[in-house]
Amino acid sequence: MNNAEIHETAAAPRFRAKRGSRLIKQIAKRYDLYLMLLLPMAWYLLFQYGPLYGLQIAFKNFNPGKGILGSSWIGFEHFQRFFDSYYFWRLLWNTLSINLLSLILAFPIPIFLALLINEMRSKSYSKLLQNITYIPHFISVVVIVGILTVLLSTNGPVNMLIHALGGSEIRFMESAGWFKTIFIGSNIWQNMGWQSIIYIAALSGINPQLYEAAKMDGASRMRRIWHVSLPGIVPVIVILLILDIGQFMNIGFEKILLMQNNLNLEASDVISTFVYTTGILKGEYSYTAAIGLFNSLINLTLLLLVNRFARKTSETSLW
Amino acid sequence: MRTHWGKTISTVLIAALVLGGCGSGTNANKNASEGGGVSEVSKEGFPIVQEPVKLKAFTRIAPVNGPFKDMPVFQDYEKMTNVQMEFIESPTDGFAEKKNLLFASNELPDIMYRSAITPLEAVRYGAGGQLIPLENLIEEYAPNLKKLMEEYPEIRASITTPEGHIYTIPGIVTLDSARTDKRWINTAWLEKLNLKVPETLDELYNVLVAFRDEDPNGNGKKDEIPLTARTGLPIVAAMSGSFGLDQQFGYNVNIVDGKVEIWMGNERNKEMLMFLNKLYQENLLDPEIFSHTEAQYLAKQGSGNTGVFFDQTNNNFLPIADQYTGIAPFEGPHGDRLQSQGAPVPRDQGAFAITSVNQYPEVSMRWIDYFYSDEGSTLLRFGREGEHYELVDGKPTYKPEFSTAETQPKLTPYAGGGAPHLISEYVASYINPPQVQEAQKALDPYMPTIRYAAPMFDEETAQKVNVLRNDIDKYYEEQSTKFIAGALSFDKWEEFQSTLKKMNIDELQQIYQDAYDKMAK
Repeated sequence: MNNAEIHETAAAPRFRAKRGSRLIKQIAKRYDLYLMLLLPMAWYLLFQYGPLYGLQIAFKNFNPGKGILGSSWIGFEHFQRFFDSYYFWRLLWNTLSINLLSLILAFPIPIFLALLINEMRSKSYSKLLQNITYIPHFISVVVIVGILTVLLSTNGPVNMLIHALGGSEIRFMESAGWFKTIFIGSNIWQNMGWQSIIYIAALSGINPQLYEAAKMDGASRMRRIWHVSLPGIVPVIVILLILDIGQFMNIGFEKILLMQNNLNLEASDVISTFVYTTGILKGEYSYTAAIGLFNSLINLTLLLLVNRFARKTSETSLW
Repeated sequence: MRTHWGKTISTVLIAALVLGGCGSGTNANKNASEGGGVSEVSKEGFPIVQEPVKLKAFTRIAPVNGPFKDMPVFQDYEKMTNVQMEFIESPTDGFAEKKNLLFASNELPDIMYRSAITPLEAVRYGAGGQLIPLENLIEEYAPNLKKLMEEYPEIRASITTPEGHIYTIPGIVTLDSARTDKRWINTAWLEKLNLKVPETLDELYNVLVAFRDEDPNGNGKKDEIPLTARTGLPIVAAMSGSFGLDQQFGYNVNIVDGKVEIWMGNERNKEMLMFLNKLYQENLLDPEIFSHTEAQYLAKQGSGNTGVFFDQTNNNFLPIADQYTGIAPFEGPHGDRLQSQGAPVPRDQGAFAITSVNQYPEVSMRWIDYFYSDEGSTLLRFGREGEHYELVDGKPTYKPEFSTAETQPKLTPYAGGGAPHLISEYVASYINPPQVQEAQKALDPYMPTIRYAAPMFDEETAQKVNVLRNDIDKYYEEQSTKFIAGALSFDKWEEFQSTLKKMNIDELQQIYQDAYDKMAK
């Protein structure tokens, strides 16, 4: 997505100056590059901008038989229904809290891991650690939830251990209290290695002379991490943070849905799963389009805020 | 330069054609199937049409089934009728999603088969013009179905909208024992522990305690499951009758003296949930009841390690069937003894519908009607006489090699449930063997006199019901589960009641009352 944006912003002023036939000539000359651009552009138009047209059903009483144009307008009624709904505050709270907790807990860990791997003297150990931590990323969500269910069931190994240590059994998967811990914990386990790769790459790009200079000045290992490594990867951290915020309201949909049951719904009911169960399974397209739109608006607001904050404080931002 | 341009333009053109091509599929389909003359449809006998007609049917396929095109019924029926039915098969998992997406994207097949279209969906898609009204077609082209509708008036009531339209046809079950889940109890354990069949809930409790503590399977371990049921709240439907709570309209509804009551906030419901909570806390109710899958539940039946469970047939535990007996409902604390769980005669609602793109509605109606006769139903369920089944005492019975759990579902689309056809005594040798008939007899005295199917509302009311029930049903399901599992204390009962009130349960009740009043007229 960034590529396309960068292309556009970088290329636009130049062409605007040349205009008309010169622009066409320019395009003709570089036609192969433009051809390559065609496919991603088509993808964007078709899958990202095309559906925007359908968003209007959030303000309509959509009946698929009558089509999007044929359905009647009803204004903000669906939004009103959602705000008045018993589930509104719970959905909003769960969505925000799960994502915020994920961000606070899960975001720093790949950074620590990358620093750790970077500092390891034995190359083979660091490779081993890297491999072990990023392999879980390749296991599908369905399998992960299956593993969790087996491990955490009442007669699973975790509860057997608790029994052996004299504790009483805990129904992990069937209690609202444990849901967020399990969800975020397993997310960290699954993704920390994968996400650390980009930081490791950034770390390896830091000029070794900086380390040597720091060493000469008598900086300890921790000092070197603090004053050389971390500042070196701050731009990457900020960009990844902003990108994460861009996905803020949507992450974990599949996994949450798979882990959901009536006993943990109190903690696991989030906007995206609610949209799926009510919209697709019960056919309430208009209502859930409105909810989805609301979800996106929150997300957009967050993204703008964080981007602005990042630009002010660290001079690194998406735009 | 010129060649470059040519390439660019052709690439753009190709892209446009490819992109545009997606949308035109349905039109092409329409044009291709036009030209078939409707006048050629014969009103009686076979073939239905002289020139072969092709139709597309969207259908649900159960995990146990094989491909529909390999089933003898559809192979033979195609030759009989000259109608080539192409099935678009969707697995049970994710079927509801696929079905709704078909309607939402307006990419319709000709026929919805075994499609479980709910009354609310039928009204929505019917009023929107995606499903066509069938009442006139039934009148002219469906003699078998018409006869059944005259014989069982509740069928017409359950599928006709207030405007008088019929958008879907149900699977019709005139066989009583195919509409209830029997109460199976492990008589081997009862005998071993010297206990008698429990008649009341208190006796049931004592029996379950004995099952749990006295090691009836004799392996020295406390691994017996005293009571289990399908995942989630079916246990409520199974037990509610003992507390005087009926299940009318396919919902939590009591009808007493013409008054409709949605009993979810009723004190009787609290008593029931407290009873189930007690069973759950004391490990008398399967601790996995809210998390096990359907397959795991069926496996538990066959393990012989369960005390009491509920199922329509004995198919799933045939090898150990003689260890179990079907028993009567338990008498509750207020003397109620009702078999509240049970389906109406139009059991599988929305099993068949014709969409607006179908060029041959008359052919389609004649095609489906045959399966509402004993003859057609036999073909559907048993295949070819002599090859797949034989007549035993005048009734079709599978040959042994086709009556196993592996072969039977490959033979017929009814395995897995919900297929549009008639299930009568005549065609039910497999699901209605003597043991199941016995079990049904135990339930018979306690069946309600009439069982109403979910009513049809007009479009506006249906929409309102949809809005109300979305919140209420979700809330009831979640809170009941928590009450039973002990995750929610009964101190919160009043909050539960007042939340139901806030969700306008009274308005919903009034809508059902109006529907009932209209029906009673």
